[in-house]
Amino acid sequence: MQHCAPEQLALAALAEQLPAGDAAHLASCPQCQAEVASLRRPVDVLAVPPLSGGGTEVAPPPRVWDAIAAATGVSAAPRAEALTGDPAEPAGAVVVPLQPRRPATRWLTVAAAVLVGGVLGGGAVALTRDDDGSVVATTALDPLAAENASGRAEVREVDGVRSLQIDLDAPELTDGYYEVWLLQPDAVRMVPVGVVRAGDTVLPLPSGLDLGEYPLVDVSVEPMDGDPTHSGISVARGELST
Amino acid sequence: MSAVTTDPDDAEVARRFAAGDEQALALAYERWAGQVHGMAVRAFGPGPDAEDVTQQTFVSAWTGRAGYSAAAGPLPAWLVGICRHKIADNWAKLERQRRSAEAVAADARSAAAPTGGDGLAGAVADRVLLLGELNRIGQPQRRIIELAFFEDLTHAQIAARTGIPLGTVKSHIRRTLERLRDRLEVDGAALRS
Repeated sequence: MQHCAPEQLALAALAEQLPAGDAAHLASCPQCQAEVASLRRPVDVLAVPPLSGGGTEVAPPPRVWDAIAAATGVSAAPRAEALTGDPAEPAGAVVVPLQPRRPATRWLTVAAAVLVGGVLGGGAVALTRDDDGSVVATTALDPLAAENASGRAEVREVDGVRSLQIDLDAPELTDGYYEVWLLQPDAVRMVPVGVVRAGDTVLPLPSGLDLGEYPLVDVSVEPMDGDPTHSGISVARGELST
Repeated sequence: MSAVTTDPDDAEVARRFAAGDEQALALAYERWAGQVHGMAVRAFGPGPDAEDVTQQTFVSAWTGRAGYSAAAGPLPAWLVGICRHKIADNWAKLERQRRSAEAVAADARSAAAPTGGDGLAGAVADRVLLLGELNRIGQPQRRIIELAFFEDLTHAQIAARTGIPLGTVKSHIRRTLERLRDRLEVDGAALRS
């Protein structure tokens, strides 16, 4: 087959799925793989979640406006509710930690994933059974950009009751705690599962929860502020394969 | 207490902002400070670093308002672009501080071993470099690559969102990635050597 079109290689560098013929060629062509790797460099440099304009809005504290007014000499002022993060505003109420759906780590593995075929994804699918019941789904938890938390998550089922087992490797927090959530792929809806610590934690899952609908395991850092919603600060994430 | 007149729409706020209307800065802050601060918090966590970035973004936007052009995109997108630069600049500053602290510590130990921090410093320098290059890319190419990078849309979603034909989106993505890659190869390597 001919080499892939340059445009297709650029899409591969952005981790887009290629048509089957292009994907097959790419898997076997070192020249096209090298081109994808070189085009992926700017992607790796720039496509990090903190630089994304989408995502959870966070109302700044009032002193931020005070500083802006002082620096610019502007005498107009925003309405008071804008300065306090009025909870009626969608900005404060939406419970959406919108990290991009492709974690940064995946950019690194496009060509590799093509090369090794199903091994990366497929290896996690193994159904096993041992004393703790059967493993019905599992995933690695990869750190989100600039974070150093990682781990594994497994859903186990014993006598029809499912639980989520988390093995978390993450730094100790002094002024907050880790919480684990199950998210829909668009991260618009989510279910809190419970508090986790570094090490092993087992949490019961609500019966009837459809893991196909909520396949993303998300670990967030939550401040001790009494707010039960997601902080928007996710540190590790993985997608369950069943 | 609110005025009887309806609030100006976003385009009107942008026009008045560019014209130097102080009330438009307050309106822009009401509407978009949450988005800007959300980015800063994702980059630095809640606290003084994130607050500094939000403050710097609005102050820079106001003092540089003559550089805003409605033709290049809506005002919130421009604010987000400024915020990206402020985040990268502050990362770079923190990285320099970390490195000089390490250098002091290394001198004290008279240890000569490299710390392995060069990769991170290089990544920060590359980010600053590429954000600058992005600013020089005209529309609609810049909007297309920003949607791909920062909103994580596929080329088909970008075509649907912008109304630009699929083939044009693909060729813009290709050319922009080549341009950014070449910039990295010329200057990124030089910065690190």
